[in-house]
Order: sequence, then C-alpha cells, then structure tokens
Amino acid sequence: MVKHDPHYYVKNKRYHVEVLPPKQDTAKLLADLDLFKEKYLRVIQSGYCVCITDNAMGLMAFQGHEIIEELNLPVHRDQVMIHLNTFHTKCDLDNILTSCKNLGIESLLIITGDGSDRLPKLQPSDIGEPDLESVTSVELLRYIGRNYPDTFVLGVAFNPYEPVEHEFAKMKRKIEAGASFVVTQPIIERNVQVDRLLSEHPSIPVTVEAWMSKKLSLLSEAIGYEIPQDVEYDPMATLSMLHQIYPQCGVYLSLVGFKTQFDLVKDVWI
Amino acid sequence: MKIVVCIKQVPASNDAKIDPQTKRIIRDAVKSILNPFDNYALEEGVRLKEKFGGEVIALTMGPLSAEAILREAIALGVDSGILLSDRTFGGSDTWATSYVLSKAIEKIGNVDLVICGKQAVDGDTAQVGPGIAAHLNWQQATYLMEIRRTDERKILTKRLHENGYDLCEVTLPAVVTVVKGINTPRVPTLKGRLASLKSDIPIWTPVDIDANIVQLGLNGSPTRVVKTEPPAPRSSATVKIKGSPEHCAQELIHQLRLRSIL
Repeated sequence: MVKHDPHYYVKNKRYHVEVLPPKQDTAKLLADLDLFKEKYLRVIQSGYCVCITDNAMGLMAFQGHEIIEELNLPVHRDQVMIHLNTFHTKCDLDNILTSCKNLGIESLLIITGDGSDRLPKLQPSDIGEPDLESVTSVELLRYIGRNYPDTFVLGVAFNPYEPVEHEFAKMKRKIEAGASFVVTQPIIERNVQVDRLLSEHPSIPVTVEAWMSKKLSLLSEAIGYEIPQDVEYDPMATLSMLHQIYPQCGVYLSLVGFKTQFDLVKDVWI
Repeated sequence: MKIVVCIKQVPASNDAKIDPQTKRIIRDAVKSILNPFDNYALEEGVRLKEKFGGEVIALTMGPLSAEAILREAIALGVDSGILLSDRTFGGSDTWATSYVLSKAIEKIGNVDLVICGKQAVDGDTAQVGPGIAAHLNWQQATYLMEIRRTDERKILTKRLHENGYDLCEVTLPAVVTVVKGINTPRVPTLKGRLASLKSDIPIWTPVDIDANIVQLGLNGSPTRVVKTEPPAPRSSATVKIKGSPEHCAQELIHQLRLRSIL
C-alpha cells in the first residue's frame, strides 16, 4: 500500500475541514445525516480533506466510518481523516480500524480524547500492554502500528496550552510510537510552543488549527482557560494571519461556517 | 431464551424540580434519558441472546415520550419494545408499577428471564425488580455482577453485597437486577439506530394486559409520599493539592482513583 504524503496539503493548498458527525441523542437523525452528507461532499468536491471527530468533548456521536458506509460516501485518497480516541471497547476499536482499512481511509488522527460516563475506555490489557496504568494516544499508536502495519498514516494532536515540557516529552513519545504528522489545538496568533514544535521536529508536517467560529469564548473548554464572552474575533482575518505566520503548515478549519465562510477560504490561502 | 428487560425514562438533570402538590418530579421541564443502570440490563440481555439465542424485549411504563428509550434499546440490539402507557397508570408507586410490568410479562408469555437495572436514578428505590418477582411469584436475585447459564432452566449468579459477593443458583423463570460493573454497555451503531426508527412500538393499556384497574395508579399504590425534597447540590469546589510535585502527583492519582476516574 502506498501511503499519502503528509506534505501534500501544504504543497497543494488543501485545507483540513472538520465536520461534526450527528450526535447519538439527536431527535432529527435523518436530517442531521443529510446535512453531514452535504458538508462532506462539499469538502470533497473542493479538493480539501474532511476530518470527522470522535465523540468530541465526550459527547456521544456516530462514528465517521459508519456514516461513510451507511451513506455510501466517496472516499478519495488524501481527502478523509478520521479522529480516533481511546474511549472505545477493544471490539469497537478493531471494527473501526478494519472498516477504515476496507473503505480506503488512510489518515487517522490519534488522540487520547474526552470520556464520559457512557463511553467505554480502552484498558491496557486490551491492547497488549497490561503493565501500564492507562491507555493514552501513545499506546493506541503503538497498537495500530503493531496490528495494522503499513495501513494508516497516523497523526497526533499538539496542545500548546498544556504544561510545556510535559507536552514536548509526550510529543517525543508519540513520534517514537509512530506519529507522522501533527495537528495543533486552535491557535489565534503566533504561538511560541508551535514555533518550538516546528523547530524541534522539522521533518514532521504540522497542521495548525484555525478557530472559525466568531464566538471565541467557545474555545475556553478546549484550551483550558476562560475567554470572556464579549471578545471580538474575526476568524477570516485570523486565518489569513496564520497563513502568513506559518506558511510551511497546513491549516485545519474547526467550526467553519458552510453558509458564510466555506466558499471564501480558498481565496485566503494564496 | 426469552428475555424481557424492564427500562425506565428518567430526568437527565440533577436539577429536577418537585411538584409541591403531587410530590412527584416535574418531568416536562427537563430532558429525559434512559435510566443509566438500565444500560447494563440491556447489554446483559443482548449478550445472553448473542450467546444462547432467543429474543430480547424491552418493556417500559410511562408517557408516550418513553417510546424514545425503547427505540434506543432496539438500536442497542434488543429485538422489540413494548410501551405501557395509559392515564390510569399515572401516579403508580413501585408496587403498582411492578404489578403493571408483571401483567405485561405474563401477556408476553414464556419469558425465561426478566432483567432490570439495580434501581432508577430518579426514585432510587430499587423496589420494582423485586416487586415484579413478587407479583409473578418467581425467584429473584438482585445486585448481580455476573450471570452465567448453567443449564436449560438455571443460572448461576454472582450477587454483590457490602462485604463481597454471593454465588446464587437461580431457577428460571426469574427476575434479576444488575449493577454497573456487570458489563461494559455497547454504544449504539448508526445501522442499529436507523433500524430502530423503522420499528413498530406497540402501546399496551390496562385492557391489553388484563390488569385490575383497582391495582393501578394512585388507587393501587400503598405508598403515601409525605414529603419530597431534592438532595442538596453536590459541591464542585476546587481542591488545591499542596506540597512537592511528587506528593501532588501521588495525591492527584489517589483522588482520581477514589472517584473511579482512573
């Protein structure tokens, strides 16, 4: 299997675009699936990479692979990335990985993830590491590398808001465990930790996440400190600025407005 | 094996309000969910079916909106759902509720095993499961952390109590209640959820289950609620751990383990 080139996105100015799958408790599943399909196809038709989250913030949602299967959506090489976290049973984990392999989805973003009372958690013994205390993205990377060799391109998250040395030590372990690209948490300006990441790991492609909602305060939970609700924020201007600051990086668009922003972003990456 | 899993729709919020007149929870004001303990009962029922064959039926008594949790149960692998809904069921205490459920179980017929969650998180009584067994005059075992089938008409159960567990052999038909640790409930698949949308959910009334009207609702409920108050909200105060980094890390791990987070 020939794996894709993670530098492809920067060379070809292709965005990563996050599309949230319908939640498990939705009262309008069919309508939500239609909306998901519409967004998915728009991203694919634009030549970008659609990125599907995995129970983001611990809120139970349907899995990307099962929606793609059920709706018979096209999977183009370099254009689908599935998030995969550690809140699954071993059986579900293997089902997801096997389905992704069968669907031709190569790109996986491996994250520890957010749990909830209702979500199961992988146990160390599930993935052949019984001596460990818990399963994080590092162990999940190792498991996938061992059991699905040469099948996936594995990426990891970088959180510049975590204690710095801990985050860099963890990044080193993630890369040793098989990570070959990095997606940051949302940044809204030059970030010294992202600069350090680029300098310490020059061979690893880095994609910076751009926060596309005007409500910057929603970012509080993701970054771990409170942003006041009345902060003015211009997502398109920030996106443009991030391209200028980090021309060597890809860009991941989170919470992009499909009605108001999506058609405009192509003119920003110039 | 024919299995009935009794489930309940409960308020999702810890912030439930009590009607001062009726002393019952005001259910319209908050989002409703499947009683969390019933997830384990459903999973156990589906696992037993997957292992030994047969069918699993989810059964609930409640307003028409309770149909949603039956569809959720079907999405999780249950074969069908039945909703017991009628104005005369309103106000039933645990005794009247278990009477209604037992009559429905009789009507379903040839049931081998009834599984309930250990209790509902709104009433917290843990009485309905045993009540069903009493009405049906079947054997019962409560707070189970394991169910093993030993022969065609018997199960071996591991029953949790304060100091450990008992191994109890139970002759079928029987009613059991299960605790959180018995399994890891599966998450519904999209395929299951879509299938559940197409399922017909029959609604049974007292006539359908041949219930004695005198034993239903407030009239059939020996319980009289004198006073009901919501529990005091849990403190969410920040705890600061002081000391050396090593001590702080150890204490944090200890505290997370105490809360079953690690």
